Amino acid sequence: MKPERESSLVEVLDRLLDRGAVLNADLIISVAGVPLIGLSLRAMLASMETMLEYGVMEAWDKSSREWYARQETKLLLDGDETILFKAFGYLWQEEGIIGAWVPGVWNITSRRVLLWQRSPGKVVFERPLPDLYVQRANASSPEREELELIFPEGSAKIRLSERLEFEEALAGRQRSMVAVEV
Amino acid sequence: MVEEARYLYSIAKTGQKEHLGEIGIEKKAVYTVPCEDIAAVVHSCEPKPYDTKDKTQAEEWIFEHSYVIDQATKRFGSVLPFSFDVILPGDDSQIEGWLGRNYKLLLGELKGVEGKAEYTIQIYYDYDDLQSKALFGNPELKDMQSQMETESKGKAYLLSKKLNQRLKELVSSEEGRLANKYLPRIHGQVDKLIIDGKRSWIPEDCRDMKLLASYSCLVREENVERLGEILDEINSQDGFRVRFTGPWAPFSFVKLGELA
Repeated sequence: MKPERESSLVEVLDRLLDRGAVLNADLIISVAGVPLIGLSLRAMLASMETMLEYGVMEAWDKSSREWYARQETKLLLDGDETILFKAFGYLWQEEGIIGAWVPGVWNITSRRVLLWQRSPGKVVFERPLPDLYVQRANASSPEREELELIFPEGSAKIRLSERLEFEEALAGRQRSMVAVEV
Repeated sequence: MVEEARYLYSIAKTGQKEHLGEIGIEKKAVYTVPCEDIAAVVHSCEPKPYDTKDKTQAEEWIFEHSYVIDQATKRFGSVLPFSFDVILPGDDSQIEGWLGRNYKLLLGELKGVEGKAEYTIQIYYDYDDLQSKALFGNPELKDMQSQMETESKGKAYLLSKKLNQRLKELVSSEEGRLANKYLPRIHGQVDKLIIDGKRSWIPEDCRDMKLLASYSCLVREENVERLGEILDEINSQDGFRVRFTGPWAPFSFVKLGELA
């Protein structure tokens, strides 16, 4: 068979966004610590997961965390709800053919688990604590700390660096809830 | 703050300053900045990235970038392609200095791709067939299934998750076995081969099938025909479909991590 040179967008995107030479982050011009490599464009068109595998994107990951940290929106809690655990992490979201790790802050409160984005200030994901299971996901790469949240309607793939602490906080809170109910 | 910058398309094997015409992103004039016998293919731009929320606009840029790389390849032979939106601060003389500092590395990489191009090979297989074989031929999975019926709701749910996981693992190990059957033969015709991660995108005519293997290969011009013949053999088997695309610039084979 003869090779076909298809100009399908996906094939071209795959190469131009996820492959090809990139430069070290410190070589690229930056504005306020964010390397200039068309970030929102990539986020829009390609999979964030693949990009994070490049050194350049690690740098972006770091600067995006710092940027998130500077934003001043506040998570609204219900009356007596308190935050028990908080850590930066991601939620895997799929939209059609494009999947992406959505960054935010994972919160375990006295009532629910939620992913909070300080900017623009919204709750991306939330589920009540009872009926929530967590298990280690079969990670696509071993160094990634992926977890699967399982709830009655389905499941969600998440990632955070403080995985153990998250698991412990969740289990601890669920134990105390059961105790109260009994 | 730097005032000007150069958008990098590729590194090519030429010692001449040449104009490729207004073929760049947004019709920018594309030209080479040489240093000895290599050159950067660039256009002059402001020191800020191409960025937009308009998807059509973004796609246009991507195709324009791709077009420049193809034109440079036609003119100079195999190039080292850059990813979209790689912009270096400075003017031509600074680009020349940057090329000089990295001359040895860039020349080495250019020699490595000379007379070669990148091709993608994707092998698809009938997934349903593979899965039913895995499920019915495995006593462990059958045990798990019957155990689920006696457990409480929560535990049964976790168990069903585990069962699906195990089934997935079995199918993927069978996939691996099939893929490895063809890998050595393909390997014989290529210079370098990268096993690509599984992609979520599947072309229209393969929607009912599952991706068995996806490779990016660096292939010498004279070996492409023979490679095509091997792929023909796989493609003609029942339940298999092969996609063979290229030639592409060697996007998957440029390693410029050491650039100074």
